Amino acid sequence: MIRKTLFAAAALAAMAGSAFAASAWTGGDDLPTNPLACDGTAGAAAAKPYDGGEPTGAPDRKGKKITVVDVPKLIGIGYFNATSKGIADAAKELGNVDAKTDGPTQANIDQQITFIDNYITSGVDGILFAANDPVAIAPVLKKALSKGINVVGYDANSQPDARQWFVNQAEFNGIAKAMVDNLAKEIGEEGAFAIVTSTFTTPNQARWIAEMAAYAEKCHPKMKWLETVEAQEDNVLSFNQATTLINKYGDELKGIFGMTSVATPASAEAVTQANKCGTIAVVGLATPNAMKPYVEKDCVKSVVLWNPVDLGYAAMQVLRAVADGDLKPGATSVKAGKLGELQVINGSEILLGAPFVFSKENIGQFDF
Amino acid sequence: MSDIALPVRRPSSFARLFEAYGQEIVVLAAIVVLFAIVGLVNPRFLSDTNLTSIFSGNAYIAVAAIGMAMVIISGHIDVSVGSLIGVLATIAGTLAVSGYPIWVAWLVPVLVGIAINTCLGALIAYMRIPSIVATLGMLSILKGGLISATGGTWITGMPPGFFIAQARLFGIPSPVYFMVVLTILVALWMRYSATGRSIYAVGGNAEAARASGLNPERTCVLVFALHGFFAGIAALLFATQLQVIQSTVPPNLELTVITAAVIGGVSILGGTGTVIGSTLAAILFACIGSALIFLNVSAYWLRAVLGLLILATVLADMARRRRGLSP
Repeated sequence: MIRKTLFAAAALAAMAGSAFAASAWTGGDDLPTNPLACDGTAGAAAAKPYDGGEPTGAPDRKGKKITVVDVPKLIGIGYFNATSKGIADAAKELGNVDAKTDGPTQANIDQQITFIDNYITSGVDGILFAANDPVAIAPVLKKALSKGINVVGYDANSQPDARQWFVNQAEFNGIAKAMVDNLAKEIGEEGAFAIVTSTFTTPNQARWIAEMAAYAEKCHPKMKWLETVEAQEDNVLSFNQATTLINKYGDELKGIFGMTSVATPASAEAVTQANKCGTIAVVGLATPNAMKPYVEKDCVKSVVLWNPVDLGYAAMQVLRAVADGDLKPGATSVKAGKLGELQVINGSEILLGAPFVFSKENIGQFDF
Repeated sequence: MSDIALPVRRPSSFARLFEAYGQEIVVLAAIVVLFAIVGLVNPRFLSDTNLTSIFSGNAYIAVAAIGMAMVIISGHIDVSVGSLIGVLATIAGTLAVSGYPIWVAWLVPVLVGIAINTCLGALIAYMRIPSIVATLGMLSILKGGLISATGGTWITGMPPGFFIAQARLFGIPSPVYFMVVLTILVALWMRYSATGRSIYAVGGNAEAARASGLNPERTCVLVFALHGFFAGIAALLFATQLQVIQSTVPPNLELTVITAAVIGGVSILGGTGTVIGSTLAAILFACIGSALIFLNVSAYWLRAVLGLLILATVLADMARRRRGLSP
């Protein structure tokens, strides 16, 4: 018995010891950060030579009607329905594009390759894609380029030399700015906040957090960062962690950042069940459908992501510009219809622009 | 003292009580010490809202651990319970959004849980498949089947009356009642009823139990069926806690449930332990999880601390058994 008690005591002591040994851990990574300007001017694009591919023997398509196929990761889900809609909108607006979306019903790279291969054989002028795997998709895209087909990616990239351009929906520093600006707007410049993330080692989340820290320091220096907690990608754990944060900090806590599409709705739920709607703001990355209940109840005001309709629209505009010869290697920007001038970054990528903020006014228009 | 340490009904002295409920008392003491330490560091830890979150947010683990404790006491193990809870929660949510009456959405998952685990128990008892193998197979079937069937789509938009875990009575969330009432009922049943005691007998020594007229196979099927019932209740509490059901298997849930049973004093060799211990251990985990945030410690430590506790408990169990064999 004594031995057992000692074991238990030792375990508890180890735990308590670690409590004092652990330093406050931010959840960010150690990579260099590149915070955007506070007033929203576009970040300086690092000069990098064009690293995309080139179609061989492409005919002159300037102003001519072209046939384009869009092969997303999968079809039949809200997100890619929205990108297809953007592509169709742009095709209609351009008037000289015949665009259609076709693809696997599961996010399966083998099936996606088969679809693209079949369309190469049937003869199209342009291919739009969102890759299920950046490496595995490269050979079939290179085959398309070798047949003179224009290839542009969006949402999920391939190896750069397997396509001409890639429309990048959001850069880390852009997401970081949108998150911090929106929370600052809701809780004030001196508000205290906490972050619920997946794990400290998840690359995207760690990058966003590091950029958020850099941007907050530069543009909202008085905001107080209480702590970052991990909740994996687990709904119930996210809820429990957010609830514990609310209990721990009481009235001091004014805002919670949700870093994943799981953590954000779970944090909103925790705030709702704690009857703290209106006193604790939740700002996070999430898809609109999961957030609708909280946005409609006014518990959450800003959900940060990108607009997939705009993403599809931009991809179609870029493909047309490439086919027309208006977008050439070395360009620094491209005209994309109603979206205006889009910036070229990272050699052969086109930045969609600032992230989109879903709010009560617009969230009903999205279904994904 | 025999190897099968049944709870002795002579609490005439503290030593007797400690002999019968040693591990339960240690776990309870750990909970009290933890509350005292963390409460000193940050008094908000002891606020009623935090206590409510600790008890209600993790009650489903305690309920699942009741069934797991019975399975382990009977000499078996079930590594598929986390997947089962994920599947049953998805069934409950799907029925609720498909317009079935709410009582159907509550009842069907419990019945399905009983049915699946009765089959599992029969496989183990009559086909003589070791329970670790049978339940490992079940884990893969349930996990793979769930992902294929749902494609990982979340379930939302359940009707308001569905959320049983969010209901409160006298200010206390309903999961706490489920946890406390089920634990007490099962503890009494296992201690005082003939069937309950036969679980200890079969788990302690199946052949001796058979020789004294018990039917180990039937006991095994019964225990797994009951385990399915508790998994069903746990799935309901799990599914109705939030507005969204993730329709995937909750990560590492089976390990947490098994750990609760083992740290609560259920011997992994079968034959000893109580569900009071498993419930207390589940509460202890919830306290540790919450305390880690209050003490600014990474949640990764939770796993490490649980590992330490398991090793300590099993070592203590071994020591107790050695002493029991050579008085």
